[in-house]
Amino acid sequence: MIKLKTFMVATVLSLLPISLAQAAGGTFLTAHDLGFGGSENADPISPNRFWQVTEKTMNRLVRPSASGEPTSDLAVSWSANDAATEWTFLLRDGVKFHDGSDFDAADVVDLLNRIKDPELDSPVASVLAVMEKVEALDPLTVKISLSAAHADFPLLMMDYRIRMTPSGSGDTIAKTGIGTGPFILETLDPEGTTVLKANPDYWEGAPLVDEIKIISIPDAQARVQALLSGQIDMIRHVTAQEKALFDNNPKFKMQQVKTGDWLAAIVFRTDTEPFTDVRVRKALRIAADRQTMIDLVLGPGGGVVTCDHPVWTGDQYRARIECPQQIDEAKRLLSEAGFPDGIEIDIVTSDLRSFWVDLVQVYQQQVAAAGIKINLVKAPGDGYWSDVWMKKPAVTTSWSQRPADQVFNEVYRGGASWNESYFTNAAFDQKLDQARQELDREKRTVLYQGLQKMLFEQGGTFIPFHVNQVVVTSAKVTGLPAMFDDGVQYHTVSVGE
Amino acid sequence: MSAITALKQENIFVKLLNVLTMMASRPSGLIGLFLVGFHIVLAVLSPVLVPYDFTAMDSQAILSGPSARHWLGTDNLGRDILTRTMLGGQQALVVTSVATVIAIAWGGMLGVMLGLIGGWLENIVMRLVDAFLAIPWILFLLLIVSVIGLGLGVLIPTLAFFYGIPVVRMSRAATQDVVALDYITAARARGESRTTIVKKELLPNVLDVLLVEAAMRWSWMLLAFSSLSFLGFGVAPPTADWGLMISGARSFMSFAPWAVLAPVVALSSLIIGINLSADALAKALGIDRAQKTPV
Repeated sequence: MIKLKTFMVATVLSLLPISLAQAAGGTFLTAHDLGFGGSENADPISPNRFWQVTEKTMNRLVRPSASGEPTSDLAVSWSANDAATEWTFLLRDGVKFHDGSDFDAADVVDLLNRIKDPELDSPVASVLAVMEKVEALDPLTVKISLSAAHADFPLLMMDYRIRMTPSGSGDTIAKTGIGTGPFILETLDPEGTTVLKANPDYWEGAPLVDEIKIISIPDAQARVQALLSGQIDMIRHVTAQEKALFDNNPKFKMQQVKTGDWLAAIVFRTDTEPFTDVRVRKALRIAADRQTMIDLVLGPGGGVVTCDHPVWTGDQYRARIECPQQIDEAKRLLSEAGFPDGIEIDIVTSDLRSFWVDLVQVYQQQVAAAGIKINLVKAPGDGYWSDVWMKKPAVTTSWSQRPADQVFNEVYRGGASWNESYFTNAAFDQKLDQARQELDREKRTVLYQGLQKMLFEQGGTFIPFHVNQVVVTSAKVTGLPAMFDDGVQYHTVSVGE
Repeated sequence: MSAITALKQENIFVKLLNVLTMMASRPSGLIGLFLVGFHIVLAVLSPVLVPYDFTAMDSQAILSGPSARHWLGTDNLGRDILTRTMLGGQQALVVTSVATVIAIAWGGMLGVMLGLIGGWLENIVMRLVDAFLAIPWILFLLLIVSVIGLGLGVLIPTLAFFYGIPVVRMSRAATQDVVALDYITAARARGESRTTIVKKELLPNVLDVLLVEAAMRWSWMLLAFSSLSFLGFGVAPPTADWGLMISGARSFMSFAPWAVLAPVVALSSLIIGINLSADALAKALGIDRAQKTPV
C-alpha cells in the first residue's frame, strides 16, 4: 500500500513540471520603435532587419554568455589552425527549421555566402570582410577560411544578425522568417502587431508562453505609458527618471544590467563641413562634461563615462582614457580651425529613444561655453534610421553592445556600410588589420587600445557613456534572463495571471 | 496729423475704451481681462523677472519638489519650473496672435467677398470649405510636416490657414445678412464698386462679429499650438513652452506632479481668460455667440 502511495505521489510529482509548463501559456507582449518606418523585414542580415523578430525565431552558431564571451548555440564547438586563418565549427545535430527541414552545414554556407552578396548590401558584410571561403566538410562541419589571421573570429560570429536560415531561402526569408528558434513567425506587421507562435519542437525545450506579440510604438514615452497601463509586458531601456515610476510598485519587476550599449551618442559626418576638420571634431568632444551628462540624462549611476571609444568596460580590450571637459582647449582648437567666434551646428534628433532629446539639450548647454551653438532639430521617429541617420551631417545615434573588433569594423572601417561618421583613415584600417592578425594577446590588446585612442583624437562620433540598462517587466513575467539585449533567450520566459 | 484723422483715432480709442469698460462691468469679463492682461504683461516682462536662465540645469536637483530655491520645483534636467513657466507663454502668445490675425484677415475677407458676389463662385468655394472642415487639420499638418519639416515658418501659416477656414463660413453668413439690407442696395444703385462696398459698408458691419470670432479662434489656437508642442510637432526643445513642458513631464506625473501642474495651470488660465473675455466682448458688442450674428 505504501508502495502504491509512493508510486502515485511520484507519478503526480513527475507530471507536475509538464503540467505547470503547459499551464503557463499566455502571451508575452513587447514593443518595438518602428525605427525603419515599416520597412522592417525578417531577413536577419538585411539592412532593415527586424531584430526583435529574428532574435526570437532564429539561432546563431555562437552566442554571447552573460559575461560577453562566445558560447555554444548551433555550433557545439569550434577551433582554429595555428595561424588562426582557418576556423572549423562543429554543428549541433538533430536541429530542425520551422518548416521541418534539417539544419546542417549547407545552411551555414548559404547564409555566410549571402552576407557577402553585394546586391543585398548587408551591414554584416563589413563585420565578416575577413571571411574568404566557407565550405561544408560534412553535414555537421563547416570550415571558414580567412583572408588574414583573426584570433577572435568567434567574437565576430556572435553578431546578433548572423542567424541561421534555410539554404536557398534568400528570396523568401524576409517574409517567412523561418529559423530554428523558439518562436515561429505567424504574422509580420511592423507597423501594427507582429505575432510569433511558440515552437513546440525547439531544441532547447518548448517556450513557456504560447505566443509573443511585438507591437509598434514609435514614441519612447508612449512605450512607458503602455507598460504602466498593462498593454505591454516589458521595456528594456528605462531612464533613471522613468525608473522612479516603477520603483516600489508591486505590479512591476526590475533588472539592472551593465552593458556596452551606447544608446545616446552624437555622430558628426567626417565627410561634411565643418566636421572634415579633425580639430573641430575634437573640440566638439572635449567641450562636454560627461559625468554631469550621465547624472542629468541617465540619473546618478545610470551609466559609465566613455571617451568616444565604443568598447565597454566589460571588454578585455577596453582602453583607459581620460576625457575631462576642456572649454579653453576646445575654443583654441576651434580658433585654429578658423572659427575664432565659435560655430553653429544643427543636430537632428527625435523621440525614438528616451535619452536622445535630453542628451542634445544637455550637450547644447554644456558646449555653449566653448562658443558652440547647437540648434536642436526634431525629426519624426518614424523612419528616422532610413531618412535621417547617415543622411544629415549631425544626428543622434544608438548602438547595442558589440565586441571591440566588431564595432571597429562595422562602425569605423572605411567603406563599411554602417560607418555612420564616414570615418576614413587608412592608418586606422591598417592597425585594425594588424590587431586582429596578432596572435599574442598582450600585443593585440595594445593594438586595440591604440585604436580607441585614435578614435578619441580623430573620430567623428561623440560617445559620452555606456548605459547601465534598466529592464522593467510586469510582475507576472518570470524567467527572463538578466542579460544585455543581445544575449537574452526568450523560451524561458513565462507570463502568469 | 489732420483734424479728421485725429478725430477718427479719438473715435477708435473712445470706442475701444467704451467696449473695455462694458466688458469689465461684468465679473466674468473682469476676470477674463485680468487673466489675459496678466499673461501678456508676464510674457513681456518675464525675461527680466525670471530667477534663472531657462536652460540652466542642476544635476543635484533633478525633479526636486517646490522649495525656497525653486518655488515650483525642477524638471527632469534640474531646470527651474517657475522660470520655464513664466517664459512658456511667450512663443505661444506670439505665434497664435500672428496666426489669428492672418486667419481672421484671409478668412474674413474671403467670406465677405463671397457673401457679396454669391453665385457659382460662392457655391464652389463653400463646398471646398465644407470639404476642408470635414478633414481633421492635424492630419494635414502631419502631412505638411513630413514634407516640409518642423518650425515656426510652417506652424504659423498652417494654423492660420486651417483656423481661417471656419471664419470664411461665419463671415459669409454675417455678410449675407447685411447684403440684403437697403443701404447696400442703395450703394449698388449709386454705382459704387465692390471694393468700396466691402470697405465702406460691409466690413464695418461684420467687424464686431469678426472680433468676437478672433477672440474665440485665439483661444482654440493656443490649445492647438500647445497640443502640437505636446505631440512633438511644435517648437523644439529646450524652448520654454507649456506644451513641451507638459509633454516632457507627463511620464513623471505620478511622483513629480509639480512639473506638469505649473504649465497646465498657466495654459488653462490663459485660455479661460480669453474665453471669458470673448464672452464679455460679444455681450458688449451685442452679439449672440451661439448664432455668431448681431442681435
